[in-house]
Amino acid sequence: MSWALFAILGLPLIAVTVSVADGWRAAQVATVVAGLGSLGLSIAVALSVEHGRGLHAAGGWLRLDPLGAVFLVTTGLLYAAAAVFSVGYLHLDEPKPDFSRFARRYFALLNLFGWTMLLVPLASDFGILWVAIELTTIVSALLVAIDRTDAALEASWKYVLIASCGLGIALLAIIVLYATGTHALGDSYIPRFARFAAHGAMLSRDAVRLSFVLAVVGFGTKVGFVPTHTWLPDAHSEAPAPVSAMLSGALLSSAFYAILRFFQVAVVAGQRSFAEHVLIVFGVISLAAASLFVLRQRNYKRLLAYSSIEHMGVIALGVGFGAPLAVAGALLHVITHASAKGLAFLGAGSLLRGYDSKEVDDVTGAATAMPWTGPMFLAAALALCGLPLSGVFRSEFQIVAGGFARPQYVGVALLLVFVNLAFFGVLWHAGRMVLTPAAAAATSSRSDGAPGERSAWMIAAMLGCLFVVIALGLHLPTALSTLISHASHLLSSPAR
Amino acid sequence: VVPTLPDWAIQVLQVVSVLTLAPLIGGLIARAEARIQQRQGPRVLQPYYDIFKLLHKETVLPDPAGPVFRAAPYVSFAGYATVPMLIPVLTSFGLPLGYMGDILGGGLILGMASFVVSIAAIDSGSPYAQLGSSRLRSFGALNEPTVIFVIFVVALTTHTDLPYVLGATLRSSAVEVVRPSHLLIVAAFFMLLLTETGRIPVESHGGTLEFGQIEEGRVAEHSGPGLAFLRWGSTVKQLVLYVIFANVLVVPWGLAADGRLDHVLEAIALLLAKAVAIGALVVVIECSFAKLRLYKVPEFTVASFMLAVLAVVMFLFAPSFGAVRLSVFGAAATITAVVVLLLELGMLRSQDVWEQLRLYSLGSTVVAALAFATAASGHGGSSLYVLGAVTIGLKALLFPIGIRFVLRNLEADPRVPSSIGVPSSILIAVALSAFAFVVLRPVHIGGEAALPLEALPVAVGGVLVAFVLMVVRPYAPSQLLGFLALENAVSVASLAIAAGLPIILALLLLFDVLVGVLVFVVLVQYLAVARTAVRTDVLDRLTG
Repeated sequence: MSWALFAILGLPLIAVTVSVADGWRAAQVATVVAGLGSLGLSIAVALSVEHGRGLHAAGGWLRLDPLGAVFLVTTGLLYAAAAVFSVGYLHLDEPKPDFSRFARRYFALLNLFGWTMLLVPLASDFGILWVAIELTTIVSALLVAIDRTDAALEASWKYVLIASCGLGIALLAIIVLYATGTHALGDSYIPRFARFAAHGAMLSRDAVRLSFVLAVVGFGTKVGFVPTHTWLPDAHSEAPAPVSAMLSGALLSSAFYAILRFFQVAVVAGQRSFAEHVLIVFGVISLAAASLFVLRQRNYKRLLAYSSIEHMGVIALGVGFGAPLAVAGALLHVITHASAKGLAFLGAGSLLRGYDSKEVDDVTGAATAMPWTGPMFLAAALALCGLPLSGVFRSEFQIVAGGFARPQYVGVALLLVFVNLAFFGVLWHAGRMVLTPAAAAATSSRSDGAPGERSAWMIAAMLGCLFVVIALGLHLPTALSTLISHASHLLSSPAR
Repeated sequence: VVPTLPDWAIQVLQVVSVLTLAPLIGGLIARAEARIQQRQGPRVLQPYYDIFKLLHKETVLPDPAGPVFRAAPYVSFAGYATVPMLIPVLTSFGLPLGYMGDILGGGLILGMASFVVSIAAIDSGSPYAQLGSSRLRSFGALNEPTVIFVIFVVALTTHTDLPYVLGATLRSSAVEVVRPSHLLIVAAFFMLLLTETGRIPVESHGGTLEFGQIEEGRVAEHSGPGLAFLRWGSTVKQLVLYVIFANVLVVPWGLAADGRLDHVLEAIALLLAKAVAIGALVVVIECSFAKLRLYKVPEFTVASFMLAVLAVVMFLFAPSFGAVRLSVFGAAATITAVVVLLLELGMLRSQDVWEQLRLYSLGSTVVAALAFATAASGHGGSSLYVLGAVTIGLKALLFPIGIRFVLRNLEADPRVPSSIGVPSSILIAVALSAFAFVVLRPVHIGGEAALPLEALPVAVGGVLVAFVLMVVRPYAPSQLLGFLALENAVSVASLAIAAGLPIILALLLLFDVLVGVLVFVVLVQYLAVARTAVRTDVLDRLTG
């Protein structure tokens, strides 16, 4: 099955080549094929590691275990959805001059972005992991700036600056971990996850703690932990909608995956409770700040961006609570949040195309004007608030239940308060956008006609995400629950 | 048989050698500067001729001048001639009069010598001289705390403040010399030395009278033998400070251990060599920096005081790993970490993007030198040579040249705006370095109790200072340089703690810089296209 790992990495690269070499129509086809193919292959390899066996390839440089598989599937899902959606999203720009060059550049970067994020969970050591995450920054920064408007450039500049500094700190974390490992593993070794897991007890306590904190701060910058989150709303709101969906659903979780690898080392080195406390602190701060910011947003893409920060806080809390149920819930939340947030951002992109505005106030009566997008956007908002029938409800419920089992009453209480606050904020804005009656006068003056659905491709991509959101809420496939329980087992001490 | 000199003879020789060599050092510096600036310059022995000439001239007194004015040159010269008795000039053992006063006593005598000249300036009634003395007093107010803190650190290290014993203690445990706290007071004292001897960037030395002069302005009304003694006195003061800098703080080696004539003569030769070396450094600084505008001078003195404060903090919170050994690698790592930190502070102070580029380039060179030193001392594989070479090629040459090229093409304004004042930003930077040092102090990476463990907290402090650099400068190239400086600090940290660095980590470092610059250059271009400027404080559309 290890050929599949090469195939997963190969498909996007082929699509990049096609986009660069051939016309934009071929690029579209290649992107859709690569996206869907990666998703299919990701699910296939995830199924093959569901019982805890690892997959190796390329002489051990690529490796997939259940923990990585959770994130691989997440990335695959968003990549596929964004690929399909992009076809419709770009379709509207076709009459513009220079469209061909723009579209080819867009598709090349989109596929490259997908490739870098697929590489993250396949890395077998901290070096490749870091390089892959750094690559995601570069590629996605170019994607954020692709519109070349003032605002997009500003967002991109902030993003590169802040994320690069964060990754500088993350590099320091890796170096500290590496330095302490030299006593157990020899002077020059490859910092593989497996080697640390095997020799964790011999690592210096101070160094493991230091490296974990540095990793949470450094990679946390890309996860969007407050207070280093400031690039995130800007980048999410200025990027093209499919890119926003990938940023929010896949990029943030990829960075969190890196933190989990450090968490794993901390657990093996006997520093579990310290690491849990760090995650709880960062989780609560992010959750609190983000839920308050959600309330005052006027731009619906920024609203969703803050909601992403909030959900990353929830995931950090889930891992921080430490109970197996909560950790499993957090891992499930990675998938459910990605699907719901993907749906929401794609819906936002569709609304943006329909109404030509990012302001909440400009969008009214979406339920009637855009009969597919409107309800689905509302459904995404409801799912993000954690209403039953959505997968998010299931995962958040597990996290809360796990927190009570530990017991972590303070953390759980804060989580419930702020999640409800965000619930109110998201629902208030989304409800206004979708359900209020359309203001006829405002829309008639538009040059490109009244608001309405623009492309079947966009609806298809959203339907796919909606299917995942609802399906995970109604029934959790056995294979997925086995995979997650094996993955959460990797995050708990072998002694336990 | 070589004769042995009695103590009193050495004592006399000590004072005489300082008094006779002092004008020579001044002459050498003036000559070297002139040659670097493509001028013929004065003869090396010119200061002697000047003094000799002035001694034969008549004294012209200004109308209001009283006995204070007439006595001041001689009192101040007597003060400067007394200090060499207190400090280790030639011998490593204490001479009879060496215990007359401690280092504070020496400082007070130096202060007194300068004070009487200021009083005389007021006595002369000349507004020009008074202006000089009032400026000297107001800037000097910030120098005294620096002196006190420098003495604190040395005294805390050695449990005494007698100059002879300070030198002897450092000699017996050489590892103290390369402690971060000691390196910082060396830096602070050197800045103080530049201020006190009236050098660039505080004051332009010699030549014609200028309105901005401080030290030179004070003596404007003196003439004849009085002026001769003032001129001579100021060269003696300069040499005395050089001697304290060299024989107490930096290289307390090369002194005569007994009274044998050949040892003493050797010590005199080495004294000259040390003074010339320090003078060469001063010449380099004088030729590569511009004089600060007068109201910027306090920024310079404040910076030196901040360094002294940081040194005290680092001393008090120095990690204790038991007895530490001195190794080439350990010393190189600590010195590099401190130098990189100091260069970052320099970038923080600088208002000019070209100067920032030069400082960054220098920092990269130092990092590369550390890589070479580490490899040469056998602490890492030969891949470190590659790392060093690539660091020089990319970070010291290619990036600065590339950034320069981009900026020239954009015709960007080289003045760097700052969102807060320089003293405040340096204060924040010093506070953050102290914070990093205090927080990381208890962290034990494990392994041998070697010196580079102190380099890690300093390098992490450098990372934080780089953040300050990026935050307070709303100017895209400066932010880029801040990021690159951050990379340098991370490189130092990694070399210090993971010297057995395999090629993978080396690649990581270079990769980071490479891609960072790639994206940054693209974005600077983008920004330029978008608004024909590279300032980033106009980027305020996206908030909340």
